[in-house]
Amino acid sequence: MLRVDKASVFFSARDGRIVHALDRVSLDVPDRAFVVALGASGCGKSTLLNAMAGFLPLSSGSIALNGVEVTGPGADRGVVFQKDTLLPWKTIAENVALGLKFAGARRTERLERAHELLRLVGLQDFAAAAPYELSGGMRQRVGIARALATDPAILLMDEPFGALDSLTREQMQELLVDVWNRTGKRIFFITHSIEEALFLGTHLVVMSPRPGRIVARYDLDFVNAFAARRDARAVKGAPAFGALRDDIRDIVHETQVLRSAAQ
Amino acid sequence: MTNVVATPAPAEHAGQSAPRLVKMRRFGVGEASTLPISLMSGAVILAIWWIVADLRLVPHLFLPTPGEAATAAVSVFQDGYANATLFEHVGASLLRIFTAAAIAIVLGIPIGLLMGLNKWAKGVFDTPIEFYWPLPPLAYLPLMIIWLGIGETSKITLLALAMFAPIVLSAQAGVRSVSQERVNAALSLGATGFQLLGEIVLPSALPEILTGIRISLGVGWGTLVAAELIAATRGIGYLIMSASQFLATDVVFVGIGIIAACAFAFTFAMRLLEAWLVPWKGQN
Repeated sequence: MLRVDKASVFFSARDGRIVHALDRVSLDVPDRAFVVALGASGCGKSTLLNAMAGFLPLSSGSIALNGVEVTGPGADRGVVFQKDTLLPWKTIAENVALGLKFAGARRTERLERAHELLRLVGLQDFAAAAPYELSGGMRQRVGIARALATDPAILLMDEPFGALDSLTREQMQELLVDVWNRTGKRIFFITHSIEEALFLGTHLVVMSPRPGRIVARYDLDFVNAFAARRDARAVKGAPAFGALRDDIRDIVHETQVLRSAAQ
Repeated sequence: MTNVVATPAPAEHAGQSAPRLVKMRRFGVGEASTLPISLMSGAVILAIWWIVADLRLVPHLFLPTPGEAATAAVSVFQDGYANATLFEHVGASLLRIFTAAAIAIVLGIPIGLLMGLNKWAKGVFDTPIEFYWPLPPLAYLPLMIIWLGIGETSKITLLALAMFAPIVLSAQAGVRSVSQERVNAALSLGATGFQLLGEIVLPSALPEILTGIRISLGVGWGTLVAAELIAATRGIGYLIMSASQFLATDVVFVGIGIIAACAFAFTFAMRLLEAWLVPWKGQN
């Protein structure tokens, strides 16, 4: 279980003003859960993820993974970034195996595990390719495989499909559901797409900006419905899906309007 | 209702002449090859030289014909000049620049990386480097000779100093070019400080470092020849200097040709090294 307890973050902006980026956010990511944080830009969702990853210390509150407080980055939390951060001087397999190299694993062992993970994301034929030879969607798949290599307790995904075209994006969502089902990892996933959030999450938190806080929480089941019947169109076309999408759109819209009126 | 529009058969070009290939209009010279124009330009310059020299438009003492320069090249190659063979002259110059380059690289890369990573290192080294780097090296050559004597030590120290600064500055810029996301990614994969340095920072900075080495070879070569003109008993600069004292203009031309050939070889070797070490450069 990853537990975020009353996490607050204050930044100082470039002009010296103090920005309240995260306001007493509490959140649990239980075993096997797929938690999605949804919100417009500036709502603090990336701040929250950076704090979970240990890139950013909290102003107050705490984050603990399986009872151990998070004090910095570590291999027990795999991160998938929006921009791919693959190393261009390494092959795809070496990129995937990077975390194992840091952990001191032997080369044969590393590459064996890398090939296994590349099979999981459907890129077994590209092990020897260079990152710049792959498309954006393929590179994000490598990013997922790389984050899984060290067998982390949780995957933190920061708008990983945000830069992809919408067709690739749908394929990647389905692939991620497969990966999640096969590995049983907890996932914390950030997006600003309502449809993506509803389709992927077992738990959904809606966030609003200035200060960043959680304004609504939902438990969802669409992802399991998809996993059972593998029909994305039926899941997204269901009346319940559409109704919830409209509700959430209203919430996001209202909080935006209220905040800007208060400014 | 479906609206599928019939597409013409792809074989429409078959039997006709090849299709007209088009490209986006672009500004500037871009990638267009200038090789034929460049070769022509070189030929014209050579022809002008030949005509001016052959017609004695300037005194023959000042300007030999290209043919005479070539003859001198053969004679210098066979018999040597100024108490040494051509290989001894070139070898002396190359030994100096490569020794100095090795010193500058071995010291410059770690110090530059450190300056990019650590506030104290940057503060401490910035002051002396920013002070001496803009100075023309020949301005402190007399000081080197007074302190270290007329031998190899003073020349190699001078060169190492001249070549050190571009390498340090490029290594530092290389560290600055490492993206925070890349560092964060490595940290979240469990990298220690040393692993971060070896696996992420150094390779990321490598393209900039190689550019720095290329610049420093250019600076060093220029400085070396100038230093040899002033204080040496062997080397390409010395060869030119002694030839000029006897007004052997044809040998001066030979020396200049050798200097240009070496500089060209350095640039070419560095390009090969870059293609081998950083094939990903410009790909992202």
